[in-house]
Amino acid sequence: MADDNENTETRTDGSGPGIVAPDDEVPTWRERKERTQGLSRLTYEYFERSRREDQDLRQESSYVERDVLGFPTWPHELIRNLSLTSFFVGMILFLSATLPPEMMAVADPSTTPEIILPDWYLYWSFGLLKLGPLNPELSILGGEKLMADRTYGVVANIVVVGFIAIVPFLNKGSARRPVEQPFWGAVGVGGVVFAITISALAIKNLLPLDTHLLFDITFLAPIVATLISYAVLKSMREGYMFDLNRRYYRLRPPK
Amino acid sequence: MPEDEDKYPVESDRRRFVKGVVGSAALAGVGTTGAAAVNSATEQSGAGGGATTAMAIENTDGPAPRGMPQIPIEIEDGEIKGVWPEVTEIEQQGQTVTITQTKNYKGSDVTYSSRWFQYCGVQSYTGLKPEADQENFFRYSSSPPPTYGWQTEDVSGGDRVQVSDFEDYENWENSIGSGGLGKPAAVTWRSQDVDNANTIPVTLIRSKRIEEKAQENDWLAASTDKGFMAYLNKCTHFCCVPGWKTSEQASQFNAEDDVYCPCHQSVYDPFEIVETTFTALPVPAED
Repeated sequence: MADDNENTETRTDGSGPGIVAPDDEVPTWRERKERTQGLSRLTYEYFERSRREDQDLRQESSYVERDVLGFPTWPHELIRNLSLTSFFVGMILFLSATLPPEMMAVADPSTTPEIILPDWYLYWSFGLLKLGPLNPELSILGGEKLMADRTYGVVANIVVVGFIAIVPFLNKGSARRPVEQPFWGAVGVGGVVFAITISALAIKNLLPLDTHLLFDITFLAPIVATLISYAVLKSMREGYMFDLNRRYYRLRPPK
Repeated sequence: MPEDEDKYPVESDRRRFVKGVVGSAALAGVGTTGAAAVNSATEQSGAGGGATTAMAIENTDGPAPRGMPQIPIEIEDGEIKGVWPEVTEIEQQGQTVTITQTKNYKGSDVTYSSRWFQYCGVQSYTGLKPEADQENFFRYSSSPPPTYGWQTEDVSGGDRVQVSDFEDYENWENSIGSGGLGKPAAVTWRSQDVDNANTIPVTLIRSKRIEEKAQENDWLAASTDKGFMAYLNKCTHFCCVPGWKTSEQASQFNAEDDVYCPCHQSVYDPFEIVETTFTALPVPAED
């Protein structure tokens, strides 16, 4: 330290003889950090290492770095989400304040209305409760049923939901159009038709159709629909591929 | 150099203390949850359920697991009442248990018990409690099905059922099924001055067929009188209230002369009384 000056005290405002311009001897911030001890040193090393790894990865990869990779969560994303949330909360409050409350008569368990049905989108599940004729009577049990018809109906729900849950694992294809995978397209058509027919079975007491015929149709129609759509999709595929190829070769004519 | 020097964070008294607090809290939580689970699993939710053999009208079609239980009736001064089994208190394993049953009902070799009706929530109805302050006479339902037009015209809801109201039973008919099978009434039992949720729905039928069958069958001879037969009108499938000659839809299931449930199309034959076995639900304990 230079002490030519009489005043040797270093002042807190940065003036005074103790303040010198940094030279080669002055440690950099990085060096200061590296000299620290304990937790602060550990933190520094951790961040420095991860930064370094990050940098290496970026340099190795072919990824083109852009100025903006995404919008920051705050404020962009949060403001947008909050405004959307407020809109819908406001709609709920508005509707609940303006619409008259729907207070229906209390359900009377000692009478049942003649037409009693769940909401239409639950008809398929309601129809599954009426699968009694499919419940096998096992000869090993002396003609007894393994489970009651009502248990059977509930288990059928699990089977259907289970199948729908399994399909994405069975077919991991990347097809975007049914023609590209006729089989799975046909399975989908069959599923949709079954949803419709099982819903029709749910209201069998209201349909002017023989109930046994309806029961048969419920299970045969999906199979027929599956077969037809498979055939149609399969035969469509050729034309579809031809169309695709034609466009392709128009763009890039063969040499 | 200590062995675990490179451990982070370093072992310290404070850290041991925090570990102890967290660990004991977790242990206490597991213990409390376990105790609550064991408690709720072993708690006595009620008494008086179990395997039960009941006389019931036969379930002939549909998903219902068994028939609907019959209620034995008696006629007293031209009024009809459903018999309530004998109430006895017995000492069992140091506890006083109320048993509502009549063994060898009127010499028919059938044990009639209130457990017959312990399904579908009926077990918690006030009228089914042995000590219920209810009389056993059937009373006309205040909301009979529209096809029981005679009930709205000739009698009023809440009145006691009179034998004289059924004099035309041999040729009574309505728009559903064939006539002359018998005359039905939607009645309630042990349900006076209770809300709808506690009203026991019963169908009472007076029929020539019952009269004929009662001459050959001990149980029917004991449980019916002058052709009157009553059953608890609660579908054993999912607890709807079916009806005999109440629904136009029934003919689609060949059930226009049977008891038909509109929910899942269960069909019962009211003139075929059979023995059924099922597991009665326990009567919930008083809180």
